[in-house]
Amino acid sequence: MSGAVALRRPVLGSVVAVDQGSVRHSAANLDDVEVGRRFAAGDECALALAYERWAGQVHGMAVRAFGPGPDAEDVTQQTFIAAWTGRARFRPEASPLPAWLVGICRHKIADTWARRERQRREADAAMSQAQAAPVAGYGPGVDSVVADRVLVLDELDRLGQPQRGIIELAFFADLTHAQIAERTGLPLGTVKSHIRRTLERLRSRLEGDGAALPA
Amino acid sequence: MQHCLPEQLALAALREPLPDDDALHLAACDRCRGEVTSLRRAVDAVAVPELAEPGPAVEPPPSVWAAIAAATGTTVAPDSLTPEPVGAQVLPFRSRRRGLVLVAAAAVAGAVLGAGVTAVLRGGDATESVTAVALDPLNDEQASGRAEVVVREDGSRALQVDLEAPALDGEYYELWLIEPQVVDMVPLGVLRPGTQTFELPAGLDLGEYPVVDVSVEPIDGDPTHSGVSVARGQLDS
Repeated sequence: MSGAVALRRPVLGSVVAVDQGSVRHSAANLDDVEVGRRFAAGDECALALAYERWAGQVHGMAVRAFGPGPDAEDVTQQTFIAAWTGRARFRPEASPLPAWLVGICRHKIADTWARRERQRREADAAMSQAQAAPVAGYGPGVDSVVADRVLVLDELDRLGQPQRGIIELAFFADLTHAQIAERTGLPLGTVKSHIRRTLERLRSRLEGDGAALPA
Repeated sequence: MQHCLPEQLALAALREPLPDDDALHLAACDRCRGEVTSLRRAVDAVAVPELAEPGPAVEPPPSVWAAIAAATGTTVAPDSLTPEPVGAQVLPFRSRRRGLVLVAAAAVAGAVLGAGVTAVLRGGDATESVTAVALDPLNDEQASGRAEVVVREDGSRALQVDLEAPALDGEYYELWLIEPQVVDMVPLGVLRPGTQTFELPAGLDLGEYPVVDVSVEPIDGDPTHSGVSVARGQLDS
């Protein structure tokens, strides 16, 4: 139960660089918050710096989900492209840039799962058609979880703070409500009621959008 | 019987252990269990290891940045993906060694490898030189030299190195044997300009680690390769 929530900067190599004339080197001293601000403001250098600092973490997640290779690379690539093109939605004051990137990466991973699932169904449908057999049904599990995942991640994006931070600590850092209270400095009761309301909200979203679970 | 509080059921949906009273009630109450199940659907959808907080960093290949730059029209590049402008040549490393893959050297390194001279065999001496290689400067570095594998009568091996290179201030040269993919490596020790002999570990397969590499290391207490190589050759085994 020890998931660190504040993203640590990857350890950058201390390559001895002599006589660097590049503008980027003066930018390299910017702290993460400033990189976030510049990113939101559309500064290309901030995109390059964000990539330098956090591409390893993002790609690490993608590789964890898909193994090394084209799928993982695509996720990492799409994460940064989406972050850049959607930078107007990034609120540097609400969340650190690396956390935002990680959130986007989760979407891209879930999207990739959903796409694979779709392809599998299409391939299967084609196969059954060719064999003039009825489409083999999938266990209700697989594709509904894939779809749920996309919906839940989408709903998380709509949450304000501190609700989002709290539920993400529970979901992704595997912290108990007591640990979350400790981490955030919020009262235990507040954390509990936010968790309750957020889970209700996510349930409504799932039951509204998808087929409701049998009671 | 009193039902569990909604907050407790939410915690149960997250699989937090409940106080004994609540746990006992929950086990027996269909209504409370139904509530937990319905709340848990969202938890089960996303609380999976693949979506958890980032674990170990893995550096993406350079093509990833290239695609991002192409899609965003960005003209600047991360420092890690641009060649070091002066002097030092940088090796590509796996991420366990450093956070960023330093790609600058990959192409150049390939060109330098294989530049070594062929094996020299001398019979009859107390030592036998089995192979020697020229250490060629990388980029415009001033370092160059020669490395020779010698086998003593007792079968032990050593690497004799002649290094011509400027003296360093606050840094030092280090000698490495590296595999061709430039990932795994064996440090042989601190090197100074002049002639020195380094013991080779018994059982070390030079065919596996044929690249003789001279790096410049900062005195920073970090035992790993700095990524700055100044001369290299490849043993022909």
